[in-house]
Amino acid sequence: MFRIDADRARFRDIVRGKIRQDLRRYLSTPELLARRGEKTVSVALPQIELPRFRFGRNEGSGLGQGPGDKGTPVEGAGENGMDGPGAGSAAGQHILEVDVELDELACMLGEELELPRIEPRGKREISSASGRYRGVRSRGPSSLRHVRRTLRRALMRAICSGMYDPRAPLLLPVHDDQRYRARRSAPRPEASAVIMHMMDVSGSMGREQKEIVRIQAFWIDTWLRSQYENLEVVYIVHDAIAKQVDSESFFHLRESGGTKISSAFDLCLKLVQERYRPEDWNIYPFHYSDGDNWSARDTERCVALLRDEIAPRVNQFCYGQVKSAYGSGQFKKDLDEAFEHDQRIVTAGISDRGEIAQAIRAFLGKGR
Amino acid sequence: MPTVQTRFPSALQGERERIEAAARAAGLDFFPVRFELLAPRDVNALAAWGGFPVRYPMWRHGMEFDRLEKSRQWGLAKIYELVINNDPVVAYLVSTNSFMEQKLVMAHVFGHADFFKHNCHFRGTDRNMLERMAAHASCVRGWIDTRGQDAVERALDSALSLENLIDPFLALRAQGQAGSKVQAPTFDVLGFLEQYAPVGDMARQMLGIVRAEAYYFQPQRMTKIANEGWATYWHSQILTRGILEDSEVVDFADCHSAATQASPGQLNPYKLGLELYRHAARLGRDLFALRATSSDAALIDELVDEEFVTEQALFLSSRNARSGKMEVTDRDWRNVKRSLLEELAWGGLVKIELLGVGGELGQGEMVLEHHHDGRDLELEFAKQTLLCVARLWGAAAVLFTQVDDQKLRLVAQDGAVESKNLD
Repeated sequence: MFRIDADRARFRDIVRGKIRQDLRRYLSTPELLARRGEKTVSVALPQIELPRFRFGRNEGSGLGQGPGDKGTPVEGAGENGMDGPGAGSAAGQHILEVDVELDELACMLGEELELPRIEPRGKREISSASGRYRGVRSRGPSSLRHVRRTLRRALMRAICSGMYDPRAPLLLPVHDDQRYRARRSAPRPEASAVIMHMMDVSGSMGREQKEIVRIQAFWIDTWLRSQYENLEVVYIVHDAIAKQVDSESFFHLRESGGTKISSAFDLCLKLVQERYRPEDWNIYPFHYSDGDNWSARDTERCVALLRDEIAPRVNQFCYGQVKSAYGSGQFKKDLDEAFEHDQRIVTAGISDRGEIAQAIRAFLGKGR
Repeated sequence: MPTVQTRFPSALQGERERIEAAARAAGLDFFPVRFELLAPRDVNALAAWGGFPVRYPMWRHGMEFDRLEKSRQWGLAKIYELVINNDPVVAYLVSTNSFMEQKLVMAHVFGHADFFKHNCHFRGTDRNMLERMAAHASCVRGWIDTRGQDAVERALDSALSLENLIDPFLALRAQGQAGSKVQAPTFDVLGFLEQYAPVGDMARQMLGIVRAEAYYFQPQRMTKIANEGWATYWHSQILTRGILEDSEVVDFADCHSAATQASPGQLNPYKLGLELYRHAARLGRDLFALRATSSDAALIDELVDEEFVTEQALFLSSRNARSGKMEVTDRDWRNVKRSLLEELAWGGLVKIELLGVGGELGQGEMVLEHHHDGRDLELEFAKQTLLCVARLWGAAAVLFTQVDDQKLRLVAQDGAVESKNLD
């Protein structure tokens, strides 16, 4: 009822503009992570206000009602008593909660970081059953009548037969003029992708490091989700041994102990061989650590695994090295050395939250 | 009339007639009242439009609607009714109200309707506002069709930034001399701009629309306590005298006390207003005369005394610098009263006067003065707003104000604001 939806849509447009402006800030905070639903994410914004002359906050005195001697703390004190339309309306700064579709957020991200669209590997045409009304035919139910086409036919017939008078353009479609929309199924390419987030959870990865990984993973998921219709996400954590976990533990688990990166790579490879066959899946392994590995020999093994087994099977392998107080940062150097000319291996150093955007760009900027 | 029409259930219709008769018997007098029954979502849409079913398109309405819908869905706030000051008065009841609540709300509405008709501050309001709002809407839509939404929105936004630069007592002042030209010095800055600003037809009409609507809504803002108190006083009087079924009494008490509960940090206008009228009744005052002549400030000035402040346990509070919490600091009735009056003075608006044109820089600039009453302006907002004035005026705009006990002169010119300390 009413036209309020038009006003609301306009307001939403303005809000989207604001989010777009502030996207860089969102890229470096975990703010949106907890607010993600199935298809939307809810964003908190300060109330959008028109400038106006209004009183500031030089807190003179408030007014209240209730018992208590001098010095009794006042619960729920707003700025002053008279604000707002009465009972139950809170005074003060309102926060706007706005739902944004994940696709739209991805679109903003793409624009902000100038990410290219990904061309899926191994295109397979899967004809999906869902047809669309894109054809026209001369028989059909009147609910599907294509008015414009019908009138066009009638016009053509009128002109051809000399009955058309531009001063009194009357068109009377006859039976043969009628045109109807027809359903036509079109083969569409369908692509599936899997993201494998691997994270080092050994003692040296602290809270802040995990937070960075978390934010980064959120945005990568968001982007890849917009690129593939069917996306699965696999979480792997490792210290000296690797295991597959759910997203909750991935982001909150804290373990201690040594670090053997190859254990994660082994598990990743095993999954690829068993479940995500490269012919059917676009595969995106991401590995995050602080750059420490148990031994140089294990690093060698990692490099060999990457070169011979993983890289040929995946779209792109990304390594994000999060700076920590304890990490040496050696692993990135080793990888860079070994894969200097290999496009399929991308590494990025992330020393603080401000560099998340840049790392995302490095990972997704190739369009692979 | 551009309005919503719904089917009003006959069970409610019967109650409505009983309540209306009771209200008239109690001495209330009002324009005809039309009740409409609407779904909560629709009531929120109407609330976002200030109660009017046909308003100009504006993102702010969408924002307000969003906020109302969220609070409703989360169960934080509930609207029971909306009343429009119009002849006939139109009242929207929410279909999810219980039967008892509908009765309470209808009695409440008759209280408002009586207040609208008799309070002096409403005397100048347009009683044909439903038509007028619709005319405003079609005017704005017309401009959108020719100029596009963005241009119209910019013009509306800047006019709305200044919507509180009006004279809350204009209606009382200008009685009998309607249509006279606005002349400096004046508090009707919006009217002055509408008449003299060197802007195109569209911007001028937007200023006119915003000004007309601001003057329409202002009396409601400055009689919040008096009006809600009056309606609450009467709904409890009417309902407890023969309208309620025995089985409804507890629910009524529950609902009534929820609406009138006092919270320590915030004054509840329903509660405060209700207690003021009860106090007046105890003092043997003529309630009907009070409701005819009083704004919130006048009512409080008239009635608040030591007894009232003590009985209602009103207090002043301020922030404890050490704990950072608000604390009760004062219960002296004179101070409480002064503070209440300060907050309500000037109809709750920021008091800004247009002194004249060109007297300060000699460049045809608009000179404004903020009458400082102890409360500072929010400076960043003030600067932005002053820029808006300057843009509309097509020349510089100057504002004298005071922040942290320091007198200031702000000059908005060429898209920038210069601030200078005085004395």
